[in-house]
Amino acid sequence: MTQRKRLSNTQGRRSDPLEEDDSDLTFTQPSTSQVQRGLDKFTGSQMDQKAAEVIQYILVKDQKKIPVRRADLVKHVLKDYRYIYPEIMKRVLQTFDQVFGLKLVEIDTKNHLYILINKLEPQEGAAGPPNPKMGLLFVILSLIFMKRGAVKESECFQCLLYICGERHEQFGDVKKLVTDEFVRQRYLECVRIPHTEPVEFEFHWGQRAELEVSKAKILDFMGELHNQDPQTWSQQYKEAHAPPPAAPSTSQPNHSQR
Amino acid sequence: MRRSKGDGDDDNNHKTSTVRKRDQRRDRDHDGSGIDSGNLQDNDDHVNRREIRSKYRDLINSVQQNREDMLNPSNNMLTEVLEEANKLFKDVRQAREAALDAQLLVVATDLGKEKASQLCAEGSSFDPSAFAEHLLSFMGLNRLEDAQNGQQNGGEGYLPDDAWDRVARRAECCFKTAPTFHYMLGSFHAEPPPPKQRTERQIRAPNKEAKRIMPTQLKKMEESQQEATEKEVERILGYLKGYYKEDPTAPIPYYEFVIDPNSFSRTVENMFHTSFLIRDGLARMYLDDNRLPCIAPAEEGGMEDGASTSRKQGVTSISLKTWKELIEAFDITDTMIQPLNVSQTE
Repeated sequence: MTQRKRLSNTQGRRSDPLEEDDSDLTFTQPSTSQVQRGLDKFTGSQMDQKAAEVIQYILVKDQKKIPVRRADLVKHVLKDYRYIYPEIMKRVLQTFDQVFGLKLVEIDTKNHLYILINKLEPQEGAAGPPNPKMGLLFVILSLIFMKRGAVKESECFQCLLYICGERHEQFGDVKKLVTDEFVRQRYLECVRIPHTEPVEFEFHWGQRAELEVSKAKILDFMGELHNQDPQTWSQQYKEAHAPPPAAPSTSQPNHSQR
Repeated sequence: MRRSKGDGDDDNNHKTSTVRKRDQRRDRDHDGSGIDSGNLQDNDDHVNRREIRSKYRDLINSVQQNREDMLNPSNNMLTEVLEEANKLFKDVRQAREAALDAQLLVVATDLGKEKASQLCAEGSSFDPSAFAEHLLSFMGLNRLEDAQNGQQNGGEGYLPDDAWDRVARRAECCFKTAPTFHYMLGSFHAEPPPPKQRTERQIRAPNKEAKRIMPTQLKKMEESQQEATEKEVERILGYLKGYYKEDPTAPIPYYEFVIDPNSFSRTVENMFHTSFLIRDGLARMYLDDNRLPCIAPAEEGGMEDGASTSRKQGVTSISLKTWKELIEAFDITDTMIQPLNVSQTE
């Protein structure tokens, strides 16, 4: 690595996109020649080892449910292996898929953020002690869904205030939990309502919620609560049972395979 | 962006038809030939335009402030605002007012979009308050007859402790969350063990005491060593003088004097102490006719002479073998210098 740097310095400062730079802005996709050079440099077992390190890193980062940044991955784990990033990630995805039953999804292609979701459907009685925060999140997501995708911030908190109050012994500051934690975890998205004066915000489903949460199941729960057939909410029912969009493989990093 | 060349130039052909119609109306009102007659009309225009702008701003504010009311499908407030805007627009001639008109339209259509989304009433409606009530029942709310203050839920009752756990359990099956990774046996804590400090303090105390004892003991020992040597030397001098007094003419053979036939080590000590006497000039050694060394106490007056005459040095040594030979040769049966401890006990 240092040799390459010395060479590039002597040859004058040409725009080398793969210079030693921790900022992800300069980390463009490596060219095929650079990938090939990297592949020649490391053995298969070395790459497996590095992939295992990436997996461990992601698993630990996932404890807080905050998305993993590609820049952090490259800086802290990959280091010298950064030029064969696509190859390593291919192995990582495969391992997650086949060994753990988890899916690593890139939710932000511009800033390169990844989250882990479960491939398998949740099992009855398999989970440990229930997390009350999930309950609160569930309520908010249901509200947004039933209101056809957006709920004003004021309305959301009005409802929550009625149900659980501003400070809760299990949640602490409810407003902070919702606007800070849930948004950072990408369960919720806080969007500004245009042309409002003073500024108002509304909540949408976040990218993680879109991937993790089943709308159909939420509608079933609504039906239970209201003692109604879920199909009576015809629009929501249509949305919940719509076929999944033919999305391009979001879980693969963008690069030409062959 | 000005469409007309001059302020109030009515004859400009670039104006749109509506504006031209308005201009014609004005012409009819003002009884002019079409060319504005000067400053009076300009001033009116300024005042009018200011009025129009102010009214537009009021409309925009009303839409923004009364948003909630306007969204309510039960009234026609939004429509009224639009009709008001239409009336105002009839007098608009310049770009500045038109821009305000455009801004009002944007705000109004935004509101209209929201109202329209409310109208998509295909299927049942969803009422958030009803939802809240049902949810509370699900959580196991115990409703009280009389409203209590300081309770949750705005004084309606109190929830059991596991209320949110119930919701969470029901909610879990809707989530495909990845299970979080934790080490099975936990991680280690890197903390310094507190007991270590305690033992350090305990050890320190005895160390200090021990050190204090040491110096006093040492001092005693040093004194006794020095005194012992000096005393011994003096004692030997006493013996020497005593023997010399008995018979001043008879020479005292050196070896007979120092040797102790009973102990080799005491012999060596005697030689050591005798050497001090010679060094200090308190005794002298000489060779007799048989060329054997003899020792005699030095005369008192002769000390100074001894200093002026050349000093001689000698080194004497003795080994066990030599000692035994000397004892045989001189036939020494008893020691001339009595050992210290023997004399003490006697």
